[in-house]
Amino acid sequence: MNFFFFHLMPWPDLPPPREFLREHEAAWVTLPNSLYDPTAGARLYTRYLDELVAAEELGFDGVVVNEHHQNAYGLMPSPNLIAAALTQRTERVKICVLGNALPLYNPPTRVAEEFAMLDVLSGGRLISGLVVGGGPEYYSYNVNPTEARERFREAVDLVLRAWTEPGPFPFEGEYYNLPYVNPWPRPLQQPHPPVWIPGLGSPGTIDYCAERGFGYMGVAYYAPPESFGRQAARYREAVARAGRPYEPENLGWLTTVYVADSDDEARADAYEPLAYFSGNLAAGFVGAGKVWMPPGYIDPPALVQFLEDLRAQAQATAGGDRREAAFLRNPLVGGVDTVRERLLALVQEHRLGTVLALMSFGNLAADKVRRSMELYAREVVPWVRERADAWFAEEFPHVATAR
Amino acid sequence: MTGIMLDDRRVELLRMGEGEPILYLHGLADVHSVFEPGEPPPLLSQLAAGREVLAPAHPGYEGSGELGVHADAEDYAFHLLDVVDELQLDAVDMVGASLGGWLAVEFALRHPARVRRLVLVNPLGLHVPRAKTGLFFGAAAPRGIGGFAEVRSMLFSDAQSAVATEALPDDMSRERQLRWFGGLAAAARLGWRGPELRNPKLRGRLRRVTIPTLLLWGKHDRISSVEHARAWERELPDAELVLVPDAGHSVPLERPDVAFDWISSYLAHPSAPLTA
Repeated sequence: MNFFFFHLMPWPDLPPPREFLREHEAAWVTLPNSLYDPTAGARLYTRYLDELVAAEELGFDGVVVNEHHQNAYGLMPSPNLIAAALTQRTERVKICVLGNALPLYNPPTRVAEEFAMLDVLSGGRLISGLVVGGGPEYYSYNVNPTEARERFREAVDLVLRAWTEPGPFPFEGEYYNLPYVNPWPRPLQQPHPPVWIPGLGSPGTIDYCAERGFGYMGVAYYAPPESFGRQAARYREAVARAGRPYEPENLGWLTTVYVADSDDEARADAYEPLAYFSGNLAAGFVGAGKVWMPPGYIDPPALVQFLEDLRAQAQATAGGDRREAAFLRNPLVGGVDTVRERLLALVQEHRLGTVLALMSFGNLAADKVRRSMELYAREVVPWVRERADAWFAEEFPHVATAR
Repeated sequence: MTGIMLDDRRVELLRMGEGEPILYLHGLADVHSVFEPGEPPPLLSQLAAGREVLAPAHPGYEGSGELGVHADAEDYAFHLLDVVDELQLDAVDMVGASLGGWLAVEFALRHPARVRRLVLVNPLGLHVPRAKTGLFFGAAAPRGIGGFAEVRSMLFSDAQSAVATEALPDDMSRERQLRWFGGLAAAARLGWRGPELRNPKLRGRLRRVTIPTLLLWGKHDRISSVEHARAWERELPDAELVLVPDAGHSVPLERPDVAFDWISSYLAHPSAPLTA
């Protein structure tokens, strides 16, 4: 089992959701950057970096950072800068950048170069996340969204060839043409660092990961819990179809986690930060307001389905109990026993080998984050790890013998 | 609806009426994007009373195949040459609205002998530095709840008018959403690159379009303002500008009767002095 600590580096100082949405249509693309206070921002980077470093001290297997642009949701337009700092402040943990949005880099060999740097700087600890990039990013970077998927796949081929094929060689694609591909440095891990791809459940992405032998990391917190179950099943089936042995650590679950001394205390602490996360920070790509989903970024049938799901979810919670709906989407909020048992059950149900825990979410206060990290790392993770590893060794003996 | 085949690429075609042909090139909110097939916009029905109206769907719009990865405005002009050849049109009257106005002029620049007269209704395509320009694709981003008011306010002078809310109702059916979002993607394929829905090279080229041209312009257009209209009028050697009050970007939907009067009289007597 892999237990990773995932950070978005959110901006915590927006007004509460209702007040915020009266004045602003979204936290993405057009949210005035005058709302960003650099002095507070400096303190925030220090705090967030300390949290990532603390994850190593607490025994997590890895830390995860990711890329977003022009928004309050995540303050890492260049996650590679944060990862570079982490190579110097940690010694053991894997460092996962999940990921770089390849179509936003031209040429994408820039990503091959920077990831190779990070791999060498970290002594071979990099996990390379490659992503299409979110819909809002296509507005912010003005990359043609109708080309997003094709550009992404071509860029993945280019990056992998840049890492594995002796340079210089020419690359001729539809979107990228480079006469001399020859990046220095090359990655330390051979043939290349592991590749993980995060997704919201698009069947095409899941199948692609399985076919290419990439890890698939399902983003869980915007969808009802059964949605991840469907994604996990599809991934396992696609791996089998591709004729590969199933490796549980290649299936990841990206979820919020908050642990306190009791379920009641955990729910009381977590509710408002969860509401801030989904109501403020995610406004702009999910939710009832403006959805910065550019034309052609996903096929019209998928877009219509996406909007129908959003509406169904918004209407279901509008009249009913918002709190219960929030805790249903975020099941790992609770006391130690609850989170232990739920996590082990989910690991077994989905044959899930990697859990990416988003613990510093919304506007959750630093001391609460730290206490929850300690409880999770000391009380939950070892308990689940012991049982899950034993269970996996029985279920998937080929994985155990390969180690 | 019928279709024509250009090699292996299909082009959806609305064909109505009899007589001298008019090639109608549709806009952002128009036939092939917001109207049900079989229920053509009123302007086209009026034009088809005395003429044959041929209205192909642009590449990527419902029923029409896409051009290749690298297609730019010039490839759309070549595509129209194939359409005109396939329909065996010699020198044809062209009416282009919005996106279609841009494509009509790209075609007329390169194949002037195939165009008799040109009517451009709030055409896109011309970049006018510092002119007021609404950002269409940003306004067209959907909402989780709350419908299409923002994009209607970009396309119509009155977002809540009957014409606007019938074209883009807040409770759009699944089928209509597919048509609308498919059309947006097709428009983005050509026009996403900044400046949005414009070809920066067009400005220096318009002086070569010597075909008699009527510029019909909804005064309250938020995508292409009256400043754009004046620039078109300045750059085109043989153009006359008519401003339409109480209309925005979508004159063919908002003021079909006014549009019909101007278009039919201009096509009948292009050299007669224009009077309102």
